[in-house]
Amino acid sequence: MWMCTDLLRSVPPMALLLLATGPWHWFDLPTWCLVAVGVLFVAYGLLVPLWRYQVHRWEVTDTAVYTQTGWWARERRIAPMSRVQTVDHREGAIARLFGLATVRVTTASSAGALTIEGLDQQRALAIVEDLTRMADSVPGDAT
Amino acid sequence: MDAFDSALGWQRLDRRMLLVHPVRDLVRFLPALVALLVFRRSSDTGGWWGLLGVAVPIALGLSRYLTTSYRITSGRIEVRHGLLNKRVLSAPLDRVRTVDLTASPIHRALGLVTLRVGTGQSGGKSEERLALDGLAAPAAASLRARLLHLTPFAEAETETAVGDRRVVLDLDLAWVRFAPLTSAGVVIAGAALGVVAQGIHTFEVTPSVDLSRLAHLGLALLVALGLAAVLVGICVLAVIGYLLTNFGFELSYSRSDRAWHLRRGLFTTRETSLDDARISGVSIGEPLGLRLAGGARLTAIVTGLDKKQQGSSVLVPPAPRGEVDRVAVEVLGTPGPVTTGLVGHGPRARRRRWTRAMVPAGIVVAAALLTSYAVSWTLVVTVPVVLAVAAFLAHDRWQGLGHALVDRHLVARSGSLDRRREALHTPSVIGWNFRATWFQRRAGLTDLVATTAGGRQHVRVLDLDQDAATALATTATPGLLEPFLD
Repeated sequence: MWMCTDLLRSVPPMALLLLATGPWHWFDLPTWCLVAVGVLFVAYGLLVPLWRYQVHRWEVTDTAVYTQTGWWARERRIAPMSRVQTVDHREGAIARLFGLATVRVTTASSAGALTIEGLDQQRALAIVEDLTRMADSVPGDAT
Repeated sequence: MDAFDSALGWQRLDRRMLLVHPVRDLVRFLPALVALLVFRRSSDTGGWWGLLGVAVPIALGLSRYLTTSYRITSGRIEVRHGLLNKRVLSAPLDRVRTVDLTASPIHRALGLVTLRVGTGQSGGKSEERLALDGLAAPAAASLRARLLHLTPFAEAETETAVGDRRVVLDLDLAWVRFAPLTSAGVVIAGAALGVVAQGIHTFEVTPSVDLSRLAHLGLALLVALGLAAVLVGICVLAVIGYLLTNFGFELSYSRSDRAWHLRRGLFTTRETSLDDARISGVSIGEPLGLRLAGGARLTAIVTGLDKKQQGSSVLVPPAPRGEVDRVAVEVLGTPGPVTTGLVGHGPRARRRRWTRAMVPAGIVVAAALLTSYAVSWTLVVTVPVVLAVAAFLAHDRWQGLGHALVDRHLVARSGSLDRRREALHTPSVIGWNFRATWFQRRAGLTDLVATTAGGRQHVRVLDLDQDAATALATTATPGLLEPFLD
């Protein structure tokens, strides 16, 4: 899925570049430059998702949720179950194509949302249910 | 409405609000009115339109008065308004974080105030906030007392005598000297410049300047004069802005409702009450200019108030550092987080600060050297200046880095131009984010971010050793991290 989204993401700038040099004549670049940029974009679309996949981890225990995301900047986030405010289940168009879904756990702080991308849909639904039940069972107003 | 509704406890705004709304709506409709007048003059048919243009705003104001009402039921405050789109807003009273009383000059002349209730909700449209525009001042004060009293945290203390206010801080007019050192002046000046430029543009007033006469003065003198004028203008504007918002600033603590009360403003007065139990920390801001002059400012990190409502959490406007520290200690209830020396972040963090500052500067300098074919005087002067500024920033940022964990408060300081020392009560820490780029991982460093529900939503400890970061997080919130430590 990531390969797909990353490749798709690199299409518009590449297209823009091609259009700018080709039909629009904004500026001129030698062909090898264009090829190099294209190779870079393709590499970005193929390698970065692999890297991302290597990094991504997630874990849910009775007391907390933990995620590790990113590729260049690696980020690990931990939120205790007692502070979980909402649990979202999301399916983008491309994700649905692959039968995947995203679970997003938010806390009272806007800096503390945890997202688990690329989960199997059934599994994602199960996690959402578990999390909601566990978060509900903890008393307090979660701030 | 009426008999039935008032039996249910619904109350209306003050009747004097009938004077405020139409006036304000008239002002809002002014462009339309002007258009109408012009229209009427050009075509003789629309004599009634002008009258209608006046009547509509007044009717709107009336309807707003008639349709807005509020009540406090057991445990909830409810506000309903709207003629066509009816809307009832309600919030549980134990979620009330802050109560804000604002009075614009029109309101003050009539003895009215606007009451705003801050709950945990962050963001949202203005219509969806709990606000009562136009209560009589005494009614608003008693409503505020009820709102704050009914929070469960305050209940235990209600039997103590009412009116035991203790003034913690009074504005000293001499502090105005700090005003020009903040960025506020620049912002105001920018806005003023924009307005003036717009005005010149629209009215096609070309300032008549006799250029030939000015040329005699010499370019350097002219530039110097212009700069001086701009500087003086910024200073004056900053001072005026400081006085407008902070005149009569008073911070007091009342033990009866366990809340901090702020009062400030010259024309538009503003009173804010912060529930003591909701203050999860403070942030001492020392921008470069203020720091050099020995000043600082203090804001509270209040649970449920986010960045957009920052204005209501200012505890001390720019003031001498000593005063700021004193108030910070009072608010936190312990001197530790404010006064203890911070633990520095080691040589690797320093190297990172230096590379982060010097590499971009170096690139700029190299680019300048490469693109310029001949050595010119400006280049000779600017290159060392750029490098020196970068070096100074690197050194200063490194000096500022630090963290501590004192008296159950996480303290972090960072930044140079906009340095902040933030102290956060550890029970208010919601979660932790560890963030490290590839460069940071190579250096064995990581940013530790404690997320919280108030203020800027997070407290960031920059460039901490990885082991130190986990140690800090585990001691701050025991039991949370252990299951995940690899």
